Parts: sequence; structure tokens; C-alpha cells
Amino acid sequence: MIKITDLQFQIGAKSILEDINLEIPRGVFAAIIGPNGAGKSTLIKLLLGTLDFKTGSIEIDGIPHRQWLKDHSFGYLPQREEYDRFFPATALDIALMGIAGNVPFGKRLSSAHKADALDAMRMCGIESKASDLIGNLSGGEFQRLLLARAIVTKSDYLILDEPEAGIDRPGVTSFFKLLKQLNEQGKTIITVSHDLHTLSEYCSFLICLNRRLHCHNKTELVNAEIIHKTFGEGVRLIDKDY
Amino acid sequence: MPRFLITAILGAVLSGISLAIFAPFVTLRRISYMGEALSHIAFAGIALALISGLNLTFGAWIFVSGVALGISWLSKKHKLHEANTITIFLSLSMAIGIILISLSQNYSFDLASYLFGNVLLIAPSELWALAGLNVLNIFFIIFFYKELFYMSYNAEMAKVLRIRTQAVDKIFYLLLAANIVLNLKSAGIILVTAQLILPAVIAFNLCKRLHYTIIIAVIAAILSALIGFGISFALNLPTGASIVVVQATLYALSFAFRRA
Repeated sequence: MIKITDLQFQIGAKSILEDINLEIPRGVFAAIIGPNGAGKSTLIKLLLGTLDFKTGSIEIDGIPHRQWLKDHSFGYLPQREEYDRFFPATALDIALMGIAGNVPFGKRLSSAHKADALDAMRMCGIESKASDLIGNLSGGEFQRLLLARAIVTKSDYLILDEPEAGIDRPGVTSFFKLLKQLNEQGKTIITVSHDLHTLSEYCSFLICLNRRLHCHNKTELVNAEIIHKTFGEGVRLIDKDY
Repeated sequence: MPRFLITAILGAVLSGISLAIFAPFVTLRRISYMGEALSHIAFAGIALALISGLNLTFGAWIFVSGVALGISWLSKKHKLHEANTITIFLSLSMAIGIILISLSQNYSFDLASYLFGNVLLIAPSELWALAGLNVLNIFFIIFFYKELFYMSYNAEMAKVLRIRTQAVDKIFYLLLAANIVLNLKSAGIILVTAQLILPAVIAFNLCKRLHYTIIIAVIAAILSALIGFGISFALNLPTGASIVVVQATLYALSFAFRRA
């Protein structure tokens, strides 16, 4: 379980997150939703430890967050990975990055590590691209590769920041199906997304954030009032009957 | 062949190798500007060593290492744009260097040899130092290859995935500083930068895997050193500049063999 208590985060005088108290149970498929600038990506960076907070605390499985991060890592898929398209790396090299942190200095990645990475790539449907240079992958293939890298970490927690960015509609559906499958295998999934329609189909836990937390609850308990509170009154909800 | 000539040829080759080993990482990490800045900052280091009576190479290495780590720390700590921090340090170091050298009134000091390089001035002891440094470079690259590979790809993601890059990054800058300082005599402040980029871009045109790139960059550097040395000797031209012109020519030629 991830437990966030009284978390505040500011950049200079500007408050980004205020009074965040949140418990994300193990095994849920959680989505963080909110308008642009709501602090969703900041919350994720605080979880990952790439940003430091001064007020509040985060515990993961009962262990203080910084201590937990010394021995564990999250499986993480960033909103936009900064990389050079001409970087001389194959897709397999990037998948192996998820495991490289567990290999001591001076030791090479073994064939067992490569087999694990190829398994994850197979699960994500990109095994055939293993020896392709990353610059030759399409946006959707690269996104799947990053998911494979997140899976290779073998972390119980997968954190995804707008994973649907750069993927076409059918791709998004199959991507979320894969996430659901991983969730059913026991992974706790935490994803930031704007795609409320897809989220309503796959997520079991919704976190509504707009600098403050407006709700964190099972998806079916989130109603129109909470969505309006999170996104503002300008949002129009459309019921669709498929 | 006269002994001094053999020493000079070996110096040119070892100098080329030591910079070429680092060139692919400097290029991929987009810190070629740092390489240029450090070679200029070394100027102040040499001046400081001159004033304090320290060994010039050792004094400059201590100074350049300190400034390199300082730039890296300042940029991360205060989220400053690294290019701006580097430019500030570069100008300040050059200014301090010029003031210190003018104050020292050491007219016997051959400043031009550090600015433009003269491989003929390499002493046998410096040759041994370069050879030792190359052994250290090769050991460093082999031992920390995966950390160097992933921190060059994306340092922030490497940190998230617990790839231990912090210590490797510091050793990288210390060694880079040592390579730049030790090469000042043969390549000169102005030409060190070119030698830190050209072998890598030649290699990137010819192969697409990092370990091959390092090998090709080293081969390109050796070839350029030998051909450049030959040309400079035959036509009585400056050696460092001739080597860089050969490297630039090889770069132009490498486009003909560029892999898609």
C-alpha cells in the first residue's frame, strides 16, 4: 500500500500540491485524473523520488518512501521519455535498462536478464523488434517498449504518466487491456490519464486531483459532482450507451 | 628515426586515443561544450600552478576537476542551465588565467604551446603518464560500461531505475579533466575540443552500436594522428592542427559509408 500523509509541495511561492492525504491499496488499478496543471505529474515525481518534498510523508508497504527507494524501484512509464533518436541502442538494450540497477558495478547483464527482458517484450507484443535500433520504432512501439522496461523491473507497482500519448485509438484499447492483465496478475497500477472513457472501463480506483485531493475511491463511487469539483464547472459529462 | 620523433609520434597517438575513448560519451551526453570549456578553464589552472609553484599538469588537473564537479553540482542544485553556468566559469577562468600570468611575470613560460599545442614538446615522462591514463580510461569504460551507457541515454531515468550513476558521473568528469589537461601540450587548448568530438561523429556514421563506436573512434584517432603527423612533418605544418584537419577529412569521407 502507498500511504501519503499531509503532503505539500511548492515551487518557490507557488503551491503545486496541498494537503494530500491518500491511501492506494495494493492490487488496485488506480487512475489519477485532473485538469492540466493539477499536479498529477508532480505527485508521480514525488513518488518516484525525482522531486523532494519538505512537508508530509510517503510510506510504501509501511516503509518510509526514501528508504524503500534504496532497495526497490517503481516500474515507470514517463509521459515523454527524453532520448536521442540516433542513440546507438536497440529495443532490447532499453528493455534491459529496467533490470540494470540490480546488477553490481563491473558485472555484465547476463543471458538470464536478457531472457527476462525478451519475456516482457513478448508480453507487450514487441519481441520481434528486440534487435531494432530505437530510432526505427514507431511511437506506439516505443511506448510498448517502455512498458516492457517497466515490467522488467519486477516491481509490484507500475506507475504510468499518460501512457496513451502517441498511441492511436485501437492501440490505446489494447494497451489498457494489457495493463488490466498485469493488474490481474497482481501488479498495482497507478496511471495518470485524461481518457475518462477508457479509465471507466478498466480502473478500479479513481484519484481526483486539482492541487488538492477531491476524492480517492472506487471508480463506481465517483459521481458527476466530484468530476465537476475536480475539473471545474466547464466540463460537460456525456452518458454513452454502447 | 630520431628518438624525439618516436616520442612525439607515440604522444600524438596516445593523446588521440585518450580523447577518442571519451568522445562517444561526450557526444551522446551532449556535453561537447563542457569539453571545450574545461580545456579553456585549464588555462587558469596552469596559471595558478605557475604562481603557486605546483607541477603544471597536476595543478591544472586539480583546478579543472574542481570546476567540472562544481559546474555539474551547481547546475543540478539550482536548476541552472548548464550552458550558462559553463559560459560563466569559462570566461571567469580565462580572465583569472590572464591576470595571474601577467602578475607572475614568468616570461620563460611558453603559453603558446598550451594554447595551440605542440606534440614535439612531449617529454618521455608525460608519455608514460598518457599511457597510464589510457589504461585507466579503458578500465573505467569496461568496468562501468552499462552505467555509462544508460546515463548517456537518459540520466534521470537511470536514476529512477536505481542505476548507480552518481559516483560514475563524478569519476567520468575527473577522468575527462585529466585527459583534457594531459593533452594540452600535444593538442592545445583550442584543438582538444575537436578531438573530443570528431572521432565520435566519424564512428557514429560507420556503426550503430556503442561498443563498436568506441573502437572505431579510437581507430580513427590513431589513423588521424599518424597521417596528421606525417603531413605536418613533410610540409612543416603545426602537428595538432594537421591531425584535426585529417579527422575532419575522415568525417567528410565517412558520410560516403554512412549506415542508414
